Amino acid sequence: MPRWGMVFDLKRCIGCNACAVACKQENNLPDGVFFTKTLFEEAGDYPRVRRLYVPTLCNHCEDPPCKRVCPTGATYVRADGIVMVDERKCIGCSSCIVACPYDARTLIESEHLSSGLFGDARLTPFEQQGRSRFTAGTVAKCTFCHERVDAGLQPACVVTCPTEARIFGDLDDPNSKVQQLIRDRKGQQPLPEKNTNPKVYYIV
Amino acid sequence: MFVRPSLLGGEEFGRGFRLQTTWSWSMATAFFFGEIGAGLFFVSLVFGFPAGLVVGLLLTAVGKTAGHLVHLGQPTRAWRAIYRLNSSWISRGLLAIVVFTGFGTLHILDIAGLTFGLLPHALSPVVTVLAGAAAVVVMVYQGFAMSHSTAITLWSTGLMPIISFTYALLSGVSLIGVLAYDFELQNAATLDVIRNGLVLYGLMALIGLLHSAKYNSPGGRLSAVLLSKASFAKWFILLVMVVGLIVPGLLATLAPRSLLLELIVATAVLAGYYSFRVLLLKAAVYEPIQSFLPETRLQRASFFEGET
Repeated sequence: MPRWGMVFDLKRCIGCNACAVACKQENNLPDGVFFTKTLFEEAGDYPRVRRLYVPTLCNHCEDPPCKRVCPTGATYVRADGIVMVDERKCIGCSSCIVACPYDARTLIESEHLSSGLFGDARLTPFEQQGRSRFTAGTVAKCTFCHERVDAGLQPACVVTCPTEARIFGDLDDPNSKVQQLIRDRKGQQPLPEKNTNPKVYYIV
Repeated sequence: MFVRPSLLGGEEFGRGFRLQTTWSWSMATAFFFGEIGAGLFFVSLVFGFPAGLVVGLLLTAVGKTAGHLVHLGQPTRAWRAIYRLNSSWISRGLLAIVVFTGFGTLHILDIAGLTFGLLPHALSPVVTVLAGAAAVVVMVYQGFAMSHSTAITLWSTGLMPIISFTYALLSGVSLIGVLAYDFELQNAATLDVIRNGLVLYGLMALIGLLHSAKYNSPGGRLSAVLLSKASFAKWFILLVMVVGLIVPGLLATLAPRSLLLELIVATAVLAGYYSFRVLLLKAAVYEPIQSFLPETRLQRASFFEGET
């Protein structure tokens, strides 16, 4: 059984947000809901200023605090390490959102599902089809596109990234590209001091 | 002190510190009613004041439940929250509320002689102990639930359950001072001593909370500054510390006892405690996600304008 993880090569990310758009399209995310974001920051002082882009998504932690605090068991971890939410069990208490240090979870509200992209309270057939996968009042998050992964495909954000800044693979396979990058370029986990042991690594 | 706006996000896609916004008024209200209700029940149990038992039980059963139901995205599924007793303090808290409500009601009916012989006499002490123990869990579990959120340094401390317990007891003692003013309590003289002790202990615990947050992480330091020097300082210092603790402590010590005094003290304690609950949610700060990047270290080096 693989243990899926992702590596972000920050030297390659150009902040185009194609990943975020691909994610929204793949998961039919409502307006204002993002499973992946590219954060930006302007660093340095004039004349040595640069813009830094940092992609983020659910880190699918080995010891997810969201799972620990969930009172219903709605948050669970698959055998391949992907952290999932069973929306039939979720009561929308938001304790997982509060417990996540990575801002990776969103409470789907009824307004999210009733308003369409064109803003006139009507949903397009595409939106109607896609919104049926969400339940208002429950929490949703990135699943590494588990349907695609189960079918042997890569997550939508990885396939779409034009600079190959996102690399997806098996963390348990020493010959996988993700393991090689983590090993050779000293991959770092976000907020390691929180002891969540994320399966997402950054190389700078 | 001026906190650089860029440090506090504001932009959804900006990298930096983030304020906690998910839990707000409804959760603060639920926590508030849960703790003052259970505190009043527990103190009334110890000092033998039946009306306090009823009021305490109602405050928890109605106020806390209403606050949580308003907050929940799927309130009709709330019963599911009892499933994860092994890891979630919310589950443990829900169980405690159920036990507290059930055995608390049974205890009140028992002392009112309304059990119609259905409760064997030998079981009365068991019911009392279970109701009291469940009340103590309701008083502290919210502190444990918040301290379990390691993402937020301000909350992630062992002081949280202690503060919950202190405030619950202090609220209970202050409320019983009003409700039982004309009632002959057992050991009534100890009430003032306990109240003053709790005020002092609460003050020390709040200072300890700020201290532990300040020296544990940059986000914790930002929370401590927000509460003591920046945006929320006037509310925290004035309402929580002065009105909520120092004024009641001084009044209870120096002024002659009267119903008006008890009313003022109880109102001040409750106002301070509710403000504390709200501010604790508002001043919770998340760390920048990529703490290893050099720019974050630069940010940390010049954390606040004007700070040396």
